[in-house]
Amino acid sequence: MGSLHAFFTFLGDGDHWVGPHGIPHRTYEHLRLSLTAIAISAAIAMPLAAWLGHIRRGGVVAQWMLNIGRAVPSLAILAIVFRVSLQWGFGLGFWPVVPALVALGIPPLFANTYAGVAGVDPTVIEAAKGMGFRPGQVLTKVEIPNALPLALAGLRVASLQVIATATLGAYVAFDALGSFINEGFRQQDPGKLLTGSVAVALLALAFDGGLGLAARRASPWRRIDRRVTTADDPIESV
Amino acid sequence: MALLGTLALVATACGSSSKSSTSSAASAPAITIGAQDFGESAILAQIYKQGLEDKGYKVDVQKLGGFRDLEVTAFDKKTINFAPEYAASMLEFLNGKKGEASGDVDATVTKLQTYLAPKGLVATDASKAVDTNAFVVTKATADKYGLKSLSDLASKGQSLTLGGPADCATNAFCIPGLKSKYGLDLSAKFKSLETGQVAPALDAGQIDVALLFSTDSTIKTKNYVLLTDDKSMLAADNVVPVVTTDLGSNADLAKAINAISATLTTQKLIDMNERYDVQKDDEAVIAKDYLTSEHLIG
Repeated sequence: MGSLHAFFTFLGDGDHWVGPHGIPHRTYEHLRLSLTAIAISAAIAMPLAAWLGHIRRGGVVAQWMLNIGRAVPSLAILAIVFRVSLQWGFGLGFWPVVPALVALGIPPLFANTYAGVAGVDPTVIEAAKGMGFRPGQVLTKVEIPNALPLALAGLRVASLQVIATATLGAYVAFDALGSFINEGFRQQDPGKLLTGSVAVALLALAFDGGLGLAARRASPWRRIDRRVTTADDPIESV
Repeated sequence: MALLGTLALVATACGSSSKSSTSSAASAPAITIGAQDFGESAILAQIYKQGLEDKGYKVDVQKLGGFRDLEVTAFDKKTINFAPEYAASMLEFLNGKKGEASGDVDATVTKLQTYLAPKGLVATDASKAVDTNAFVVTKATADKYGLKSLSDLASKGQSLTLGGPADCATNAFCIPGLKSKYGLDLSAKFKSLETGQVAPALDAGQIDVALLFSTDSTIKTKNYVLLTDDKSMLAADNVVPVVTTDLGSNADLAKAINAISATLTTQKLIDMNERYDVQKDDEAVIAKDYLTSEHLIG
């Protein structure tokens, strides 16, 4: 109960809502880092997965290799990249954290996009070819739209992991939500610890919910299906 | 915690079967030393372990994490009954950062005892070895700004960035101390880094002032300039073993512990840390060499 009291006391202090160490700015920084990492992950994983899914080749091998990124602890990647970053002048904070997060973001994005594209019903593709679609058109007009819901589900998984793991940035002077957790731990301040944890969890859930809505919008046929079914019911019963 | 306790019991059991105890061990209590997760703590734990084993005690080392919470909990759960500690930092931990620690080691330890007693703990004699916060700059920075002391830093270094572990922001001997004693507010220019990354960040020019420990061997090997604490902000963080009262009341044991503590100095800690950090030697080997050279074993 003491922790909960410390949590609300921390939130109630106006000083914690302003300035570079305040909750809004740290949330913004956390989002900036997470979005950058997710965008880079998507830019690498999705085109590769779509192409390999289209030719239906190499998916298993690629997935196996990309899973290394998920298997190696993010903290280890961060520790290694940090030294390199110092040597090459990328500095502290933002950039040393990005590779660790990208390594984590790529595998689910690749897996889902590949499964989505490679899993399109062959009869649909045959039909498209029969209508005169060229291979490129099959990919862009048939396979990718059909793969979109699964790919977006992959994006949800990647975002959840990236947002939660972006807290590691606090170890290398990246001042964001993870800093509340690191400071709370080091300074034995349960209010800070809870503030950081709850903020990261809320951010991750908000993202997940938003992408869930986007995934529904990206698959309009599901809604149509439902409407059609309900409309058909009375007819069938006649 | 229950699991930790069980592990410690198993460890103790294994230890006792494999060691042949000598002389006064008949009624000797079993000792488990808690070591924190940094080299110096591991070395100190080994020094006391091997030194006391030589006197016939059964001693084990239990590795703990890097936080005093864990150590105090381990004492509560009787997982450990001995821990090499630092007088001022332990005092400020137990009193909730009241600022009762000072540069006077005797006064600090006396005050520490009042907080240890209710927990069934007692501090043995403090050693002369001090491990406190060290504010360092590179030679180039020192020359450029003319920095020798923390007062110089306060007058000429307001624009510099400070890098150190996250607790610096609230540690009485770090940012708040610099503010109250020297009138220097570095809170907006503080970069929070993991302990091992502070010196590399200083070398790379990403920070201007680094917070290290005074017994860190890199200060010497990298030729950093240590800014002197000319207004006595820093407190008496002398190495002091903290033990349970039943161990502390054992006169023979207390004498043996104090005999080891009496040999420790800051310079000897720096030298041992250098072997650990730079030459990557094993803490048990470093401790054995130390005890041999001090004629405490052998």
